[in-house]
Amino acid sequence: MSGQVVALSTRALVAGYERDLPIVRGVDLDVKQGELVVVLGPNGAGKSTFVKAIAGLVPIHSGTTALGSLDITTVPAHKKIRHGLAFVPQTENIFGTMSINDNLLLAANILPKEKRARRIAELYAMFPDLAARPSLRAGQLSGGQRQMLAVARALIVEPSVLILDEPSAGLSPKIVSEVFARLKQINETGVTIILVEQNVKAALAIADRAVILVEGRLRHEGPAATLGDDPIVAELYLGARREPKTVTP
Amino acid sequence: MSVELIGYGCFFLTMALTYAIMCLGLNVQWGQTGLFNVGIAGFVAIGAYVSALLTTPDTANRFGGFDMPILVGWLGGALAAAVIAFLIGALTIRLRSDYLAIATFGVAVTVQLCALNLERITGGPFGIGFIPRPFASLAGDPLLFSLFNLGVLIVVITLLYIALERLVRSPWGRVLRAIREDETAALALGKSAVKFRLQAFAIGGGIMGLAGAVQAHFIGFIAPENYLPMLTFQVWAMLIVGGSGNNRGAILGAVLVWGLWAASAGAVAGLFPPGQQARAASLQIVMIGVALCAILLLRPRGILGEEKVVSRHLGKLSSALRVDAKPATPKQ
Amino acid sequence: MNPQALMDGLITGSMIGLGAIGVTLTYSILRFANFAHGEFISWGAYFALAVSSALGYLSGGLLTPIGPFSFGWSLPISAVVAVALTGGLALVVDALLFGRLRAQRGTVIIMVMASFGAALTLRSLLEFIFTSKPAYYSKALQIALPLGGGLRATPDQMLSLGLAVVLVVAVHLLLTRTAIGRSMRAVSENQQLSGVVGIDVRKVVRTVWVLGAGLACVAGVMAGLLVQIRPYMGFDLLLPLFAAAILGGIGSVPGAMLAGLIVGLAEAFAVQLVGAEWRAAVAFVILVLVLLVRPQGLFGRPE
Repeated sequence: MSGQVVALSTRALVAGYERDLPIVRGVDLDVKQGELVVVLGPNGAGKSTFVKAIAGLVPIHSGTTALGSLDITTVPAHKKIRHGLAFVPQTENIFGTMSINDNLLLAANILPKEKRARRIAELYAMFPDLAARPSLRAGQLSGGQRQMLAVARALIVEPSVLILDEPSAGLSPKIVSEVFARLKQINETGVTIILVEQNVKAALAIADRAVILVEGRLRHEGPAATLGDDPIVAELYLGARREPKTVTP
Repeated sequence: MSVELIGYGCFFLTMALTYAIMCLGLNVQWGQTGLFNVGIAGFVAIGAYVSALLTTPDTANRFGGFDMPILVGWLGGALAAAVIAFLIGALTIRLRSDYLAIATFGVAVTVQLCALNLERITGGPFGIGFIPRPFASLAGDPLLFSLFNLGVLIVVITLLYIALERLVRSPWGRVLRAIREDETAALALGKSAVKFRLQAFAIGGGIMGLAGAVQAHFIGFIAPENYLPMLTFQVWAMLIVGGSGNNRGAILGAVLVWGLWAASAGAVAGLFPPGQQARAASLQIVMIGVALCAILLLRPRGILGEEKVVSRHLGKLSSALRVDAKPATPKQ
Repeated sequence: MNPQALMDGLITGSMIGLGAIGVTLTYSILRFANFAHGEFISWGAYFALAVSSALGYLSGGLLTPIGPFSFGWSLPISAVVAVALTGGLALVVDALLFGRLRAQRGTVIIMVMASFGAALTLRSLLEFIFTSKPAYYSKALQIALPLGGGLRATPDQMLSLGLAVVLVVAVHLLLTRTAIGRSMRAVSENQQLSGVVGIDVRKVVRTVWVLGAGLACVAGVMAGLLVQIRPYMGFDLLLPLFAAAILGGIGSVPGAMLAGLIVGLAEAFAVQLVGAEWRAAVAFVILVLVLLVRPQGLFGRPE
């Protein structure tokens, strides 16, 4: 299960594409090593922006992010993966014009030479669908297979933290459960996983803990097992007010 | 002495104003519509040659020479340029913005080539001479002649300026602005972005043709070497310096850059002995090229340009161009 | 129909192709049409001229023609040096201008405008230093040898063609089988994802500049050897370069070379039909046809 060491943390993170328009408005988060945390929230809450800021794709205005004890706030995006932080974007997460093998070779490039071939072989063993036709152009894969390739690519570097942005998007329920079962397996090997998701039910089924982002702020968190029944979740999602609105005649 | 100075001043200002017409045309294409025309010289040349052909008296080996009034020539030149602009725009307007740039570049190269090679129509490398000048009857009195010609230019510029400012504020202009600011919303209202952009491109091209015609009639003769890529570069420099997106900026930029060009040519030429004048000209262009790049880096909106216009054309930044953007340093 | 046009077309075409490869790479990875690319061709030729002259001055023996060719060892040596110098020039221009504009989040149009300004500056600088008088690597005359089928070619021409073929194959192998080539293809497809995957995009950008400029330099040396060296040589090739890059499909190296050959051959045959003075219009006609019929080019992806 999860240890007590913090794998990834953010402090007062403020981020957004434009300087005068922060989308993430001060988020504190601690994710322990080995945890599987899901980030929930209504549309426009800033969940995607939050993880993209951690990954270095969206400018951070203020606050910090750290990988373990290492401050990675100003580390450029392409270097974060060298520290063990792997990110799987929601859309366009594989190179469609390149073969499956080339996609993996690309990712393996940052590994030392001796480890590359072995690691790719290990991933082919983990994902036999990909091993079947390694020279197939990745753009010709089905939605679920693409997601698998994206995850495989992220795993090549043996990351300590894996962040995924809505991996279930555009996938059929059957494929979603396959993908999620896979993620749970990966988590059980010790990889810390942070998941942004709209598919609340599927995500809570595999998560340890869930946090809820609303309008760029962390509004609630709790163990995944009980969160599904918590009425606060519905309120935050549907924007229901705590006090009834007075109606003026 | 002062008569000569006034004469020179008139000549200088008149030439500058012909460039100002080109800038106004470019402003319609670029400032208002965001279209990138790298072949200005081609459209100017079309206007000049068509007008010349329409208004010169008949000559033996050459087609044309319809001996029509000057105004007909000007209108004909503008119309011809507008048509070609429309065609080129139609070809590329749905494609990447730099495809339009390449296509217009090709137009300029081809137009110059036609001017050079189609001797029976354009007079080849010798060009067309004896182009009727406005107020030709006054040619005997140089001062009066220059003043009247300058007057003609001022009238043309004023009319054009008023017309264009009106156009910007007209329903047509408003739609163009809407398309520029939020294309999806404009499309939802049923406005065809392509149609409006094409019209703007054609109008701008027509104005450039008019400039070519006016210039041709002012100088009296034209040749293919008047319409080199340098001309395109000059007009762009004028619009950028003066302020893109701004009609006043266009006129100001034309006068300013024309003045700087002439001044720097004189200054640099003075540094070199007579036999090295070609070198001097090259050095002058180096300096101007560097200056233009500097302006693009430091103040792309020019003197009178609005910040908003430039940033409106920033459009969607491809992720490509975010790479080098420095990661925002967090406040501690 | 003179079969010699075939030879002329292949030779011109291979030069256009080498230049077009550089254009298509910078276009697909840096995402703008670089109007200054022609200047890398010119500067490459002049760099080689300067170094070759200096070498010849130091040791006359280096100027003695090698075997059947018109040039001595000074040319190949200086060509190699020139490739490095031209690559360096490209890096300098990027550092001073394009890189800064990217950092300022400049748009495609500002980049193209800047490339226009840079082109003018570079071209005029060449004119200033060397004047417009045509220059040559060697005064040795060459005899065209019969190849069969009515074709004739000089040894210089054969060497240039062979070199072009070798280079295209080399670049293709680089792109498909090496790590840096994969990185370049990745950046060309999706720059943001490339960063996520760990690719140092800035390094790829630098590599593209050096590669493109290096190829342009070789094209320039070839053109200088086979025709002449003058400041406008690169600029005059710009329209054919763009036409070839677009015809081949932006981002495709084999496409660029194939398209270059097509443009070269079209020019050669057009010259036979309508006269040499119309040569420059051929590229424009090809460009218009491509944009009308198939804007993504032969090997490009539809937008």
